[in-house]
Amino acid sequence: MELLSSLYEVAWFVFVVAAGIAVLEGYFYYHFKFHDRPWFFWAGLAGFPLLAWLGLGAAGLGKEGLFAWLFATEAVVLLFFRHIVKGRNSLAYLLLAPAFTGLALLLVYPFVFQIYLSFHDLKLTTIMQWKQTGTLPFVGLRQYYDVFTVPPLAEAGFFKLLGRTLWWTFVNVFFHVLGGFALALMLNNDIRFKGVYRTLLVIPWAMPQVVAVLAMRGEFHSQYGFVNIILNKIAAFSPFLASLGVGPVQWLSDHPLTTCMLINVWLGIPFMMVVILGGLQSISSSYYDAADIDGASYFQKLRFITLPLIKPVLMPAVTLGTVWTFNNINVIYLVTGQAGGTEQADILVSALYKAAFTYNRYSYSAAFAIVIFLILFAISVFYLKTFDAAKEAR
Amino acid sequence: MTTDAIRAAGAEQAAAHRRKKLIKYALIHLGIIAFVCVCVYPLLRIFSVSLRPGDKLVSTDLALIPDGATFRSYWSLLTSTHFLRWLWNSLVITVATSFIGVSLASTAAYAFSRFSFGGKKAGLILLLSTQMIPAGMLILPLFLMIMKLGLMNTYLGMIIAYSVSSLPFSIWILKGYYDTIPRSLEEAALVDGTSQIGAFYRVILPLSTPALSIAFLFNFTTAWNEYLVARVVLFSSKQYTWTLGLFELQGQFITQWGMFAAGSMLVTLPVLAVFLYSSKWLISGLTLGSVKG
Repeated sequence: MELLSSLYEVAWFVFVVAAGIAVLEGYFYYHFKFHDRPWFFWAGLAGFPLLAWLGLGAAGLGKEGLFAWLFATEAVVLLFFRHIVKGRNSLAYLLLAPAFTGLALLLVYPFVFQIYLSFHDLKLTTIMQWKQTGTLPFVGLRQYYDVFTVPPLAEAGFFKLLGRTLWWTFVNVFFHVLGGFALALMLNNDIRFKGVYRTLLVIPWAMPQVVAVLAMRGEFHSQYGFVNIILNKIAAFSPFLASLGVGPVQWLSDHPLTTCMLINVWLGIPFMMVVILGGLQSISSSYYDAADIDGASYFQKLRFITLPLIKPVLMPAVTLGTVWTFNNINVIYLVTGQAGGTEQADILVSALYKAAFTYNRYSYSAAFAIVIFLILFAISVFYLKTFDAAKEAR
Repeated sequence: MTTDAIRAAGAEQAAAHRRKKLIKYALIHLGIIAFVCVCVYPLLRIFSVSLRPGDKLVSTDLALIPDGATFRSYWSLLTSTHFLRWLWNSLVITVATSFIGVSLASTAAYAFSRFSFGGKKAGLILLLSTQMIPAGMLILPLFLMIMKLGLMNTYLGMIIAYSVSSLPFSIWILKGYYDTIPRSLEEAALVDGTSQIGAFYRVILPLSTPALSIAFLFNFTTAWNEYLVARVVLFSSKQYTWTLGLFELQGQFITQWGMFAAGSMLVTLPVLAVFLYSSKWLISGLTLGSVKG
């Protein structure tokens, strides 16, 4: 029975979404149809906000502020239709409207809301007030000041976390590219079982990340994980290596950051391998033939043919990889668990996540997120700039 | 030098060359096999743990098929935990999300592919730039919105949070695919008397089933594997998605290890199959946006 009621709930929701889209389309259709009538502007300006306000009021959402907001929106929409669209391409706009309304409500609005939050004070003590009245005390830039002075969790402050994040990103992306490149170079030969190898090699990427990370976390258990079992066997097998320090390690308690890095490197290599392999296969073999005639060595060919030709594929992948790694909450959170556990592995985003949802410091976290976003934005712009420069140099 | 000697020297050189090549290939195979072991071993290991009998769950044994292998863990997972319920929750949320996402994306992509209108370029750039907003950053405002709407711990809250996250990517894939369908097909349909919408519905949509299914799969896997939003929106064990459920099982490391492994196997195998089947298209879609830009 419960299952049926859950289905009913979802069906009802899909119906509401469809009805919302129908209303939206009707709204736009009206604008397209009558935009050049003389009464259109004034009728729209007065009529629509009132209708919508009454409709929403019946649904229990009506408020005075909402009316003003609807009024302003309608004015903008009317001007847009009157002076920019002028009834052309009505179908294109009608087709786009639902998707962009969705994006505006669930992607752009949260982003703006986050900025709003970062200038106000929402925390455990003010959340009831916010729920009831929807207003929050304004605190200006204080949250931003706090971001740099008050540590998000118990120990590490912003700059320490930033340093750790950069180190984490660098190490991961470096090994992703290195491992991916090595594998792609090996796979790019005319060898047997190539398809089988390729399939098996993408398994870490294809597995659900939660399963992969949790399973690997278990395998780094100090006593029963296979990593330490194998290290133990190696140490027992060869006393020489054991004397060099090879032996079981308390991964999760003593070296959480290293553990996370090992897991993430393992997870990320297949993606780079696939991207680079695609790039390698698109390089025409005539370049290599010409280089062979000129007597180029293997490394010369790698340096002067492969690398420059692979760059257009590699640069976007590295940019993407950097952003993903920088933002990787999943691995660290799943390995180290909630706040209160070890903090030695936390990077900026995971500290933010824990601060927001374990300590309920919402506004502080919002400011923190904005700062992270700006850093990331700068990195991406820098990357893309160098990429464009490389494009033009060719 | 006689011709025989030259021929002999040539043969020797060829043999040396062949030997060198053989060694090179042997090394390549060895290297790849080493990597393959590293990639596959953890998965095999989960399988092996899931087969362990209850009294030997934790052991330092490395054998792939343990002594006294049994499916007991699978049985107790299905009967003594909410595992099936978790799968059901994930399924409902994911299917609803993908359905909404794909239907919104398919029409929007058609507009981008076939019309030229004011703000088209701006719209495409807006789509790409939404990809710059890190997903982790939106969790907090989405969480607060869902809380304010009173949708905590419900399917609806999850569907709302997930529904547009893959939308930009889906629109890009579908637009790329529509672009490859010749316009003359639609024009023929228009001449035959259908409207533009009719042409889209009767000609374009049936022709782009491959791209639609890839977009659906992408939406599906993203929502299916999601963890962080679910962590903060869902809080009662019965409403959990499978990701939260497995995390809970894994948390009690010693006692539930076998059940965790069994659940992981049950979830991973279908996902793996789907991924390997669709990986070719997924990858071409992944690089599409960046290469074109």
